[in-house]
Amino acid sequence: MSKPLLQQNTRYLLLWLPVVLLGCTLLFFVLMQMQAHHMQEEQLFLKQKNIWNAFKVKSGNIDNHIAGEYDIIQSANNESIELNELRDTVIYYPDKQKSLPFKILTSELNWNNKIYQVTTYVSSTEIKHLIIKVFLGEALLFVLLLIAIVILNRKSSRLLWKPFFSTMKNVNEYDITRNQSLMLQSKTGTTEFDELNTVITNLINKVNAAYYNQKQFVENASHEIQTPLAIIRSKLELLINQPGLTEKNASLLGDITDATNRLSQMNKTLLLLSKIENNQFPEIEAVNVSQMIERILDSLIIYYDNFPEVESKIQPNVILHANHSLTEILISNIIRNAVEHNQRNGKIIIHLSPVNLLVENTGPSLQTNPALLFERFRKDSYQTKTTGLGLALVKQICNLYSYSVSYQYNNGWHKMQIIFRQPAA
Amino acid sequence: MKLLVIEDEASLLQSIMEYFEQIDFLCEGVTTYANAIQKIDDYNYDCIILDINLPDGSGFELLKYLRKYKKDEGVVIISARNSLDDKITGLNFGADDYVTKPFHLSELNARIKALIRRKYAHGIDILEAGNLKMDLAARTVVCENQILSLTKNEFNLLLYLINNKNRVVSKQAIAEHIYGDETDNMPSFDFVYSHIKNLKRKLKEKGCEDIVQTVYGLGYKLSI
Repeated sequence: MSKPLLQQNTRYLLLWLPVVLLGCTLLFFVLMQMQAHHMQEEQLFLKQKNIWNAFKVKSGNIDNHIAGEYDIIQSANNESIELNELRDTVIYYPDKQKSLPFKILTSELNWNNKIYQVTTYVSSTEIKHLIIKVFLGEALLFVLLLIAIVILNRKSSRLLWKPFFSTMKNVNEYDITRNQSLMLQSKTGTTEFDELNTVITNLINKVNAAYYNQKQFVENASHEIQTPLAIIRSKLELLINQPGLTEKNASLLGDITDATNRLSQMNKTLLLLSKIENNQFPEIEAVNVSQMIERILDSLIIYYDNFPEVESKIQPNVILHANHSLTEILISNIIRNAVEHNQRNGKIIIHLSPVNLLVENTGPSLQTNPALLFERFRKDSYQTKTTGLGLALVKQICNLYSYSVSYQYNNGWHKMQIIFRQPAA
Repeated sequence: MKLLVIEDEASLLQSIMEYFEQIDFLCEGVTTYANAIQKIDDYNYDCIILDINLPDGSGFELLKYLRKYKKDEGVVIISARNSLDDKITGLNFGADDYVTKPFHLSELNARIKALIRRKYAHGIDILEAGNLKMDLAARTVVCENQILSLTKNEFNLLLYLINNKNRVVSKQAIAEHIYGDETDNMPSFDFVYSHIKNLKRKLKEKGCEDIVQTVYGLGYKLSI
């Protein structure tokens, strides 16, 4: 399962940083203990030295015993005592009614050929308290550090990854069919992202070049086909005007003429498609679609012998900002499609609003996959005379103006819908 | 009428010349820019059919050359490029008309006839063919001294047939001539048939019977 980098990074930090910090805390505690031990030792040796000096100066006339400070005992040769080492002990304080911990140090010293055992005392309560306080402070600091690191890390990551997300957004919005160039920051301030942007830009340029070549190929091929077609057409015209044309020959010539005509129309449509792709219809004006539909219906009725019954639900003065001839091609293709794929005594319903155009027509269901309906050269098997490019043209024009086009079939009705703009939410 | 055809595709050139020779034009054909310049320098023509893409030069250059030397031949451009820009450029350089390949020869003929009429008829817009008299300015047709009431499309259809009289005109050519780009991707041209039927009926009513004939479902012919 994939998770955002930021979250992964935070998880990693939260998992391992406390372990490291805990280790550090333990180490710190041990070091503190060692330091305290050393300090107490130093303190005790210094005390011993001061007391012994005072003892020697006063020729032994000082108190031999002060509770919690020192003991001087003459040659009590006690074997069990470890000399010159720190030992723990407790002294009972009756006023406080409790025993307090002390560190003591015993040394054997020589004065006037007599051996004295000098033991000095230092309270270990304060140092213990200090260690606890320092330790708590340190733990608190570490927790704060942990929080700060995580927050800083998240903040800096977000900042550092910004160029990456900007690139992602740009690449995601990039549409090769729209002839736009991909504008990526060339200087992000991060070497890796600069490289990423360069690599993506190069890739897009290569893809663009390939796409452009392909488009150019279609356009050039279509242009080149025009001349041979013109030759065939002209020869056919000369041929049908030859004297002595028989019915048999006429029927052959009729078929050739039909085929040539279809080829010519196909070629014309392919050229139109590639021109739309190449953005060769830049002129945009306000087109009154309501009037246009009426006009197209009027002229289409002439072409068909059994034109289906038309029910118009057209809102007046629906205006689109688009190229006039492309809009005309779009609407005329949609309506013609509804006429051609209709049935005998069929019906067409045309709804038009500023938001959408919906053309419904009766007719047998499709033999082909509806998803492929808008692809080039897709047509239903029983239709042999159409070019199979009409709906591809519709799709292409819709793409150009970011209209969405969809097809549905239910209960014997084909529904072709174009949404010009999303209704305001 | 003298016609110069400039077209680099020899086969197409030959078709155009043959077609126009059959309807009594004097035709000369060249396939290159250099030859075209030579012909234009040496002779005068009534009309020039000009292809834009020539192997050694552009048709536009030729147009400029023509207009620079004040030659006022009518020029019809035939081009494989069906772009508005090319059309506008051509017309700006002084071309009179523009036809896109693959065109019908009958269409090219109709354009040339119209051009010649505009240029040389000096305002007389009456076209006579047999018993028919067409007034192109007033857009009326008189048959045996009776006025025919035709729709706009029927008028254009009759004019087209008269321009191509005594020749078979295919129904595709008629459809494209009358409806232009609207016929793109039309699966059939049956609507031409009903137009012809109406026209024939109207002609018959006024006594111009049987001048329009159907040729084996290929097309139609107006015989005079």
